[in-house]
Amino acid sequence: MPLFLVYFAQFHEEFRLPELDSLSILENVPIAYDAATYSPESPFLLIEVESAALAAKLVRRGILIRYIIEYWGSGATYAELFSHLKQDPSRWSDYMTCSFKFTVDAFGRSLTQREKVSAIESFSFMACEGPIKMKNPDVEFFVCEEYGAPDTPQPLDAPKKVWFGRLLNQGSRDLIDKFDVKKRTYLGNTTMDAELSLVMANQALARPHALVYDPFVGTGSFLLTCSHFGAYSLGSDIDGRQIRGTAGFRRGVNGISANLAQYGLADRVLDTAVFDICRNPWRPGPLFDAIVTDPPYGVRAGAKRLGRRSGNDPERSLRVVDGVENFRRSDYLPPTVPYEMSDVIGDLLGFAAEKLVVGGRLVYWLPTVAGEYDPKDLPTHPVLRVVANSEQPFGGWSRRLVTMEKIAPLQGDSAAELPEHAPAHKNFRDRYFSKFEALDISSTTD
Amino acid sequence: MRLLTHNMLKCHVKNCTDPDKQYPLRFKDVQIEQIEYEANEEFLVRMLPRIDWVALVKTAKDLNIAIPDSVPEDPASDQDFLQSLHTIIMETHVTEGSMVCDGCSHEYKITKGIANMLLAEHEI
Repeated sequence: MPLFLVYFAQFHEEFRLPELDSLSILENVPIAYDAATYSPESPFLLIEVESAALAAKLVRRGILIRYIIEYWGSGATYAELFSHLKQDPSRWSDYMTCSFKFTVDAFGRSLTQREKVSAIESFSFMACEGPIKMKNPDVEFFVCEEYGAPDTPQPLDAPKKVWFGRLLNQGSRDLIDKFDVKKRTYLGNTTMDAELSLVMANQALARPHALVYDPFVGTGSFLLTCSHFGAYSLGSDIDGRQIRGTAGFRRGVNGISANLAQYGLADRVLDTAVFDICRNPWRPGPLFDAIVTDPPYGVRAGAKRLGRRSGNDPERSLRVVDGVENFRRSDYLPPTVPYEMSDVIGDLLGFAAEKLVVGGRLVYWLPTVAGEYDPKDLPTHPVLRVVANSEQPFGGWSRRLVTMEKIAPLQGDSAAELPEHAPAHKNFRDRYFSKFEALDISSTTD
Repeated sequence: MRLLTHNMLKCHVKNCTDPDKQYPLRFKDVQIEQIEYEANEEFLVRMLPRIDWVALVKTAKDLNIAIPDSVPEDPASDQDFLQSLHTIIMETHVTEGSMVCDGCSHEYKITKGIANMLLAEHEI
């Protein structure tokens, strides 16, 4: 199969290959690549795709992909690149008379206009006779000089490598601006940034025939991004104030529905409702194609579940005040207790194992203590397979985006298996506020 | 709240477990709004196995909405059926009112289309 050059964005490096693999499934474009040639320090990866048309389709909703280029050649120097190219002059014979444009790009430093012009002129052996057209040319040639990651000291006098090919398509990085949280009519204090919300929609395989659900919907970021890609979505939260917009940074703007109006997504964001996922009213059996969520981990907004710390006291909700039982009053709010992170994640897996259709995906964030995280911390489930596990570091702590796929129908009473040791994310909130001081081992055993 | 969502919700009060009574929830004193959207036939066909048809018929009839009694043998090629399914489950919104459980009489209130499904302390 012909080779194509994926030009990734140099951000969220651990998320790039999982997203590429998800795009391959989403767009039904088979790809092949050698994972050993991938480096987090480089934005480039050569992949095999059947045709240029399919390669262009592959990346069209990529968030961590800048461009895809039909690969014509590369070299440690321009001279090496040119001798590579000249082995197959028939490549450019198709483009000798059509309108064209050269784009010269560099990774790791910026080029002066003079350097760019001189690079373009060095390709004169191709003898392109067609008109130069800066907008919508018939063919756009793409040159990229790779110097190495911008934050590592590199000798900048010459590139490590020069890549060349025909630019086919861009990813969808413009959506990051469209969904920028600062531009949202409504947002809360834990609203997820746009870039990763969009990556999550790709990990969830959100597409026009899918039904996606967020059980900790908050202000609804994932409903927006999943439904932008055509999926139908539902959300719930134990805190109705976030949904309705009576809490959060911008109040009185009608909550999530204000954002649906802003983005024109009221046709696909189906509903939001207020309930506790631990005691949820969904009827039994598989309902969703994906569950996409950021469980509240307790730093800014603690996870809550229904219950009373001192034990449930049914008399309190049944007590008659002014002739009305307490729970029937319009301002009745049931008591809640903190919901510990490791319990949240275990329950989430059990819920997903039942409620996803086979082939459906669970995509969730796991906050953890960076130095203590162990892959065995992840709870497992017999019908859920880990597809990807990507870290976003924040110094002392990090969060991991975990993608799981339901691989078989749920049989009988198989349940989520929690790690036998105390995982690093246990009591995450307390650890956060104690600045992740190492734990006394005796206090971790319970 | 759309009727598709309603079709997926049951009463979840503790000790309210009679499957014939906890589902479907009965609408009470509702305001209904119809909003037109473009139909997505592939989505509708994929949702059919996840819809409880008997419950949907009961609910639609309660609300005086016309609905076929059964799903045709080949729904994917029956455009009239899919359009009417679309109208019922996607375009019909219950904006105000409540959903009542015939088993335990719990009333789940709907305000501005958002259902409050929280349980009281004696119900968990």
